[in-house]
Amino acid sequence: MNATKTFSLTLIFLPISQLLASTKDLDFFDRTLRFFSFNDYSVQVVVLGVIFMGIGCGLMGGLVVTRRLSLFSDTLSHAVLPGIVIGFILGGFKSSFVVIIGAMVAGFLGVTLISSITKYTKIRLDSALGLVLSGFYAMGVCFLTRIQKLEFGNQSGIDRYIFGQIAGISSTDLYTIVISGVLILAIIILFYKELLVTGFDSNFAHSIGLPVEFIQYIFWMLLAFTVITSLQIVGVILVSALLIIPAATASIITQNMKTLLLWSSLFAVVSGIIGAYLSFLGNSLPTGPIIVLCSCCIFIIILFLHWKNGLLLKWYRLRGKEKKIAVENTLKAVYQELEVQRFSKDLILISDLAKRRRVSVPEVCQEIIPLIEQELAFVKESSNPKLRGENKIALSPKGWSEACRIIRNHRLWELYLTNEVQYQADHVHDDAEKIEHILGDELVRKLEKILSNPTKDPHGKLIPSQQDIKRGYMHIQ
Amino acid sequence: MSDFFPIFDFIDIFWTPWSTPQDYIWNGKIVLMGFFVSASCGMIGSFIVVRRLALMGDAISHGILPGLVLAFIVSQSKALLPMFIGACAAGMLCNFCIEWLNKKTPIKLDSAMGLTFTSFFALGIILIAQFANNAHIDAECLLYGEIGYIPLEKHIFIGDFHLGPRPLVFMGVVLISITVLIILFYKQLMVTSFDLTLSVTLGLPVKIFHYGLMLCLAFTIVSSFESVGVILVIAMIIFPSITASFFVTRMPNILFSTIPLSAFYSIGGFCFARWFDCSIASAMVVVAMLCFFVAWLVGKENGILLNFTKPKTFSKIK
Amino acid sequence: MKHKSPLPLEIHDLTISYEDKPVLYGIDLKISDGVLVGIIGPNGAGKSTLIQAIMGMVKPLGGWVKIFGQKEKKAYLRVGYIPQKESVDWSFPVSVLDVVLMGRYGHAGWLRRISKKDRSIAYECLEKVNMHSFADRQIGKLSGGQQQRVFLARALAQESDLYLMDEPFAGVDAVTENATIELLRELKNKGKTLIVVHHDLSNAKEYFDEIILLNMRLIAHGPVKEVYTKELLQKTYGGRLTVFTEIADQSTKR
Repeated sequence: MNATKTFSLTLIFLPISQLLASTKDLDFFDRTLRFFSFNDYSVQVVVLGVIFMGIGCGLMGGLVVTRRLSLFSDTLSHAVLPGIVIGFILGGFKSSFVVIIGAMVAGFLGVTLISSITKYTKIRLDSALGLVLSGFYAMGVCFLTRIQKLEFGNQSGIDRYIFGQIAGISSTDLYTIVISGVLILAIIILFYKELLVTGFDSNFAHSIGLPVEFIQYIFWMLLAFTVITSLQIVGVILVSALLIIPAATASIITQNMKTLLLWSSLFAVVSGIIGAYLSFLGNSLPTGPIIVLCSCCIFIIILFLHWKNGLLLKWYRLRGKEKKIAVENTLKAVYQELEVQRFSKDLILISDLAKRRRVSVPEVCQEIIPLIEQELAFVKESSNPKLRGENKIALSPKGWSEACRIIRNHRLWELYLTNEVQYQADHVHDDAEKIEHILGDELVRKLEKILSNPTKDPHGKLIPSQQDIKRGYMHIQ
Repeated sequence: MSDFFPIFDFIDIFWTPWSTPQDYIWNGKIVLMGFFVSASCGMIGSFIVVRRLALMGDAISHGILPGLVLAFIVSQSKALLPMFIGACAAGMLCNFCIEWLNKKTPIKLDSAMGLTFTSFFALGIILIAQFANNAHIDAECLLYGEIGYIPLEKHIFIGDFHLGPRPLVFMGVVLISITVLIILFYKQLMVTSFDLTLSVTLGLPVKIFHYGLMLCLAFTIVSSFESVGVILVIAMIIFPSITASFFVTRMPNILFSTIPLSAFYSIGGFCFARWFDCSIASAMVVVAMLCFFVAWLVGKENGILLNFTKPKTFSKIK
Repeated sequence: MKHKSPLPLEIHDLTISYEDKPVLYGIDLKISDGVLVGIIGPNGAGKSTLIQAIMGMVKPLGGWVKIFGQKEKKAYLRVGYIPQKESVDWSFPVSVLDVVLMGRYGHAGWLRRISKKDRSIAYECLEKVNMHSFADRQIGKLSGGQQQRVFLARALAQESDLYLMDEPFAGVDAVTENATIELLRELKNKGKTLIVVHHDLSNAKEYFDEIILLNMRLIAHGPVKEVYTKELLQKTYGGRLTVFTEIADQSTKR
């Protein structure tokens, strides 16, 4: 094996091997206990680091995602690599302060380069981001492989900046992370209004006399600071994930900026702790990627299962709506059947109903079942519990008023379309088929007012009136 | 710090690698590989850039990692077909996730991209970590590639005729097929990139061209990752056409310019790496970036120097 | 009404919603040969959407479009389209001639190269719009009017029978506007049908034979004299159908 290959393997497996070495003799429960009892100094450092990093990343991520700068942050995190390496060399491989300064400078150069490329050339933003990202990253790799070849390179500890190595953070690193977390929290609380308004509408912010450029500048500095302090835990390539994913998850839950920031940092902290724990278990899992995957899992769970905006629930609700529409359509068919008989009887044959619905008798029986369950209709003159074509059904008072309401909606809408919107009479039916199910009471009142309480629809059929609904049968003059 | 920058030895850098026939053949293969990779990526990239898909390319190149690793674990080799299938599956899944998130959820496009490809990439890294011991995965190779070892690969013979190392031969085939495809479908690629409505009018299958191009991109990335890795390949895709666009304004000219540019990247990167003693692939990208800066400075379209002296003849009307 | 040859454009009960907002509602339209038609309506009335729906770029919720009696995509070959200025990528690496040649792609086969004949046709079309001296220039380096003329030349090179234009007079100098309208009339006299989205009420009366008044729904369509009335225009721009839009909103939000 040659030097570079060994390097890359160490790069990924160093954290794992270290963890394995330190915890080899303990089993799963012991380690779990050790992690959550919070007695170990190393565990304390790790958990505190992850918590404050989560707060910082979550808050900044919320701002980044709402400003649509996700990919910008990705570019920024790649672009700091050469700065880190240079910082290492200049600081004599010891001072993490110089590394932070180096990373800041590189990040600043990267961001300036992106903005000047898009400003002074015709190159579009996406290409500019790609250029800076790959160019700077290549420069970093170039320097990195260079110092690998030098004698002192192998003990430098730069490796942990690529994929992160939580076990390796020292108490000084922890202080930096805590300070940056607190700083970000403080600045966001202090300048919340300003950050919100510049992010939402910078022209307006300018017009009310805010120093927009200064605030943007602070924003960028904070972002760079977050990225750099998180690097040691999640690494250069994946740090943007910790900004984007928790904030994106939060954006599913809420539209409110304050709650979004709160949730976002909560998710970041939770995924950080779970990731650190899994990593601590020693299942040969590198910290950075496992934290990212944890937050991704949280994202997926929220995306599908959130009680209000989750996709599964939405789908379920849609199903419910479809069921309701099916019930309403059956009710409507019963009404129409009654109407054909000029309301002389209140019973109709199920086979007639099937004909009107244009389905087979067993199918129509399936449709009737929910009606009976909801006590909208009942079967008469049948000792047989099974529904059959020759059975007759009648509407209950509740079913009657429901049916009238649907028919009324349908015909009112048809009339509105023909009279007010100048639709042709042959077009209105299909549209009304959809609208009848969603017209609320308020809109119906409005329609009645506009059409001045009509009695007949464009096809000449009677519109059931409010009195008819109350009365429980149709009054035919 | 002082030994960070090595001494610039002219003869060692420019002459020694080419002095004996043995060196010549060895290093020639490396430079040729660099050229093949950069030219194929650059040609596909010209269309990727004008379609504003540069970041999609970035996302896909990160996103194929788990596919590559899984293929590696299953087939226990770097055989091309499983690698290609794995990468394409992962790339298409990544693409699908991004589009689905963008359309069906309130997540915006940029977040969807960042979210998807970082998650895929993280998954890839974890797979490497989990299965490294029993699959002999070469992580370095997947992430950064190592163009310097190309001559070590198994060589391919046709009959008695010695073609060269497998990746080199394969990359040559990729370059030729991409060139042929672009020549054959030049018109359609142009119209579908420039004006969607016109392509619909002409009855062109717009979606097929979009996904065809994406497939070509995935294919190029897969064939290049051995030499430049999944992260730096995006540089090879964007840099040539962007640099060329400072000098020429028509698509055919941009496509032609990728060839001398690629040759320069490859030779320049080789020399730079020789001097600096670093990875050749990253040196190539650094050279590409330097070229980009030079082009920005002196280019006749929007170059800094020329625009500084010459007043604009036409104002941009927006 | 029976026609001998199929109508260039027939739309029946076309409804389109775009990102949950209904844009067009139940449009019925029949346009006959050799007329110059203007589509007029306020901002957000769905004028561009109508054009895009005709081109099959947006999928309708209901209804259909027939071009020369056909619903198939083949019919699109007979349609020439001039895009709205904002939708064009002006930094795209193509020259003026390249753009005009794209109009000829429909006449060349799938894998065939552009022939000399196509080139000379493209050149002639450029001459017609007085842009031949700019043939090699990149399209971004033209003035607004010149850019418009290039796309006009492209539409000419397509040799279509039905032309759709989205705001060809927006941001254009008077010379180009006059030249364009001359050219449109010339095309019309050759029996072509032209449909133009137009935003300027003041000159619509002089430019077009027929006018379509549009505001989410078709308000009126007919010869200028019948349609260009104060009452109908007020109806188009006034719009008091709040209930309608409210419900249409609700119906798509589900």
